[in-house]
Amino acid sequence: MSLQATTQRGAPRWWEGDLVHDFIRSPLALVAAASTLLIVAAAMGAGLIAPYDSNDPASANVIDARLPPGSSGMTGNYYLLGTDPQGRDMLSAILFGTRMSLMVGASSVLLAALIGIVLGLVCGYFRGLLDAVIMRIADVQLSFPAILIALLIDGITRTVVDRATHDRLAIPVLVVAIAASFWVQYARTVRGLVLVERGKEYVLAAMVTGVSPLRIIASHIRPNVMGSVLVIATINLALAILTEATLSFVGVGVPPTQPSLGSLVRIGNEFLFSGDWWISIGPGAMLVALCLSVNLLADWLRDALNPRLSNG
Amino acid sequence: MADPVLSVRNLRIEIATRRGTLLAVDDASFEIAEGEVLGVVGESGAGKSITGGAIIGLLEPPLRHVGGEIRLAGRRIDDLAAEPMRLLRGRHIGAVFQDPLTSLNPLMTVGRQLMQTMSAHLDLSPREARTRAARLLAEVGLPAAQERLDSYPHELSGGMRQRVVLALAFCCEPQLIIADEPTTALDVSVQAQVIEVLRRMCRERGTAVMLITHDMGVIAEIADRIAVMYGGRIVEIGRAEAILHAPAHPYTRGLMACIPSMHRRYRDLPQIEGSMPRLDAIPSGCAFHPRCPSRLPRCDRERPVLAPAGATQSACWLTAACDQMQDIVAAAGHA
Amino acid sequence: MLDRGADILCIQGLTKRFAVRRPWVMQALSRQPRPMVHAVEDVSLAIGRGTTFALVGESGCGKSTIARCIAGILTPTAGTMTFMAADIMARTGGRDPRRRHLQMIFQDPYASLNPRWRVGRIIAEPIVTHRLISGRSRIEARIAELLTLVGLAPQDARKYPHQFSGGQRQRISIARALASEPDFLICDEPTSALDVSVQAQILNLMRRLQAKLGLSYLLISHNLAVVAHMADRVGVMYLGRLVEWGAAQDVLERPQHPYTRMLLDAVPDVGTRRERPQPFKGEVPSSINPPSGCAFHPRCPLAEARCARERPHPVAVGAGWVACHAVEKSVLS
Repeated sequence: MSLQATTQRGAPRWWEGDLVHDFIRSPLALVAAASTLLIVAAAMGAGLIAPYDSNDPASANVIDARLPPGSSGMTGNYYLLGTDPQGRDMLSAILFGTRMSLMVGASSVLLAALIGIVLGLVCGYFRGLLDAVIMRIADVQLSFPAILIALLIDGITRTVVDRATHDRLAIPVLVVAIAASFWVQYARTVRGLVLVERGKEYVLAAMVTGVSPLRIIASHIRPNVMGSVLVIATINLALAILTEATLSFVGVGVPPTQPSLGSLVRIGNEFLFSGDWWISIGPGAMLVALCLSVNLLADWLRDALNPRLSNG
Repeated sequence: MADPVLSVRNLRIEIATRRGTLLAVDDASFEIAEGEVLGVVGESGAGKSITGGAIIGLLEPPLRHVGGEIRLAGRRIDDLAAEPMRLLRGRHIGAVFQDPLTSLNPLMTVGRQLMQTMSAHLDLSPREARTRAARLLAEVGLPAAQERLDSYPHELSGGMRQRVVLALAFCCEPQLIIADEPTTALDVSVQAQVIEVLRRMCRERGTAVMLITHDMGVIAEIADRIAVMYGGRIVEIGRAEAILHAPAHPYTRGLMACIPSMHRRYRDLPQIEGSMPRLDAIPSGCAFHPRCPSRLPRCDRERPVLAPAGATQSACWLTAACDQMQDIVAAAGHA
Repeated sequence: MLDRGADILCIQGLTKRFAVRRPWVMQALSRQPRPMVHAVEDVSLAIGRGTTFALVGESGCGKSTIARCIAGILTPTAGTMTFMAADIMARTGGRDPRRRHLQMIFQDPYASLNPRWRVGRIIAEPIVTHRLISGRSRIEARIAELLTLVGLAPQDARKYPHQFSGGQRQRISIARALASEPDFLICDEPTSALDVSVQAQILNLMRRLQAKLGLSYLLISHNLAVVAHMADRVGVMYLGRLVEWGAAQDVLERPQHPYTRMLLDAVPDVGTRRERPQPFKGEVPSSINPPSGCAFHPRCPLAEARCARERPHPVAVGAGWVACHAVEKSVLS
């Protein structure tokens, strides 16, 4: 008989719960959460707080190109973090770029989670041929690196549609490409959890009552497996952002008209050794900061949820 | 009279939780003599497994030993450091737990586990250890003991595994065995065999046994004395026949009455209302008083201590009063 | 033997075998047929309305498997099952109207309730699934009625399972099972995970409910004392076969089959304290390769050559039935 049962009182409110209790007492979690929140807020509010609108071609003044940070250009504008080869303000570019990276990263994680959870639930509950086929596809896919899969999908799209359409579709294709390389993790984890849950007696009780399999999956099993999904999703977010950055760096990610952190790094790459370090380092530093904060938060969340998951 | 093998005095064990410290074992005292089997019974949450864990020295945080002393053959063991305790365990105290599957290392053969335990505590050559291991396996009733030395735990059935666990517990000839629910996971037929082995080996070696269980039938088979725990306290202790057939404490009486038996028929089983209190809600005074059919006014204020009550010791104001009455009546009769 | 009129459940020749899970490559490479677990072999029994039939036996005897076949969780390999005069062999997925008359309560009170649902929703599920009551307030009234019936408070509907003790959770399971107004309840080790004092409360509750609502029970248990207290009729199982069955008092006080006798001898009883001679030899063999003929013959003191060859057929002994060659011989003579 666990100590839990002998000492639990009435249901605690969520803010009294163990998770929040651990959170408040962990300085690492607080710092990581604060910095993530700060970056996300700044990025999402880029339209409001950025000094210049990066997406507006008129804001790029070629005269002011490649100015170091803290300088004023010939146009009289002040550039806190310098300018890029086209004369765009780096600070604004970084803010808009972070927003783009976050949006692509988050959407691809959501899409991967959606595909993975649905497939995991279906495979775990029904087993049989469907399960075998989908899991083998998953196994095959795992042997390819994520970048390669994304490149593959992007390459196919490029050959299939013309240039203009491709530019318009570039971002959705990118999201699908990244999601396609990450869904396997969700599917496998969820499937494993479903296999455990479906043997439990509350599921059997629902079966005996005559509840339809779809309802059992949706209302009984799904809520009990979502906890682990949350952990994977947060860890994946940083990975997705990095994947997008890598793809953009290589040149197959976002179109040039809508920069993300990766493409900014790429632009500045050529000038790195001629001394214009701020064009690459600025976006690079932001990328590191973002991924680090998200990763730390995800790590803490995984450890905090772990004992509860095993007691569960 | 010889020193008791195990002597526990005023044992207190706390649990540290987020909402404060709770008392898991509250002032428990008992003794076990050489060759005696003490059955510690009680329901879930009564604190019996924690008591056993404290004696073996396997209390992990958040559990903490905060009071009282434990003596093995006169020597204090509750304040030992980790290393001396480890040497004590296995050599002088043997342990048998509920799940034989997790008590044995799945990657080591049965013989090797026995030999390893013995060479850790006794000075034996490998050949001597092997011979002793085979003899032990035969003693616990494992057929083809010599060949069984090279079997892995998963190749044996549940009952055979539990016998191996018994052999492991006895292999260094300990003075005391702590058995925590040793038969709960076994079938009835196997249970009978394992109990028989345990009883025989104890009698032959004069080992003291602390048998922790909630299964009254098993206790009835093998225990010499019984201690009944409730809410972390010992509420009654005495000889087995007395506890089973003439208990004094209202909780023990309720417990014995509500066990279905093959030989008695009722329309309704007598039952105790309510349930054991949670550790953070132990009632004041006597822990059992909210559920007690014989409650007195003082029961919710003053906590009773173990006092003679007929053939047993019982922590109850009612039985203490009855016992005093009997003394008075007896004294009046002599006068 | 089987009185179809008064019987609520009747199973004939029920058999369930499981294929042992092996990688299909290994199976393809090995020449032998796929090994099977013979969980239930040719079991026939009938349960009368308003009575309690108990299936007893040790682990691996197949009693839980029978329960799950009847409940529709598993599909039998062979045999027929008739419930309320309708054939229920075919497992129809989804909202089968027959399902509401047959419910089940399980052994583990900590796994039988969805930890994420409130108690009210858990109990309401059968009502909602079979659309028995409409209107939220009427459903809530019914939930309150059910909670009171099992000895809990109507306010408990708002709480979560983890706020309750094991015994209380089992009461919630019973309330859920009663929500669809069933006629028949399968109880799979309902009190094995509970403390003795809580067990007494739950058993008393079950008896009261049976008297009040006219329920029929199939009770699965390894605890013979519980069975003695609750059952009208008892069936003893060994390695998937029914070896003896009849009125509870007859089977438990005057057992005929050697296995039943040994089982009863092995039960430790609080009332008596004795050192018994070891009644049992060996342990229950695996059901993947059950012994030929009578499954009990390797451990049976009355075994003969015939027992290893032929499986015994049940013979009537008094008001009960026994499947044993030795008993058959003594009855015929």
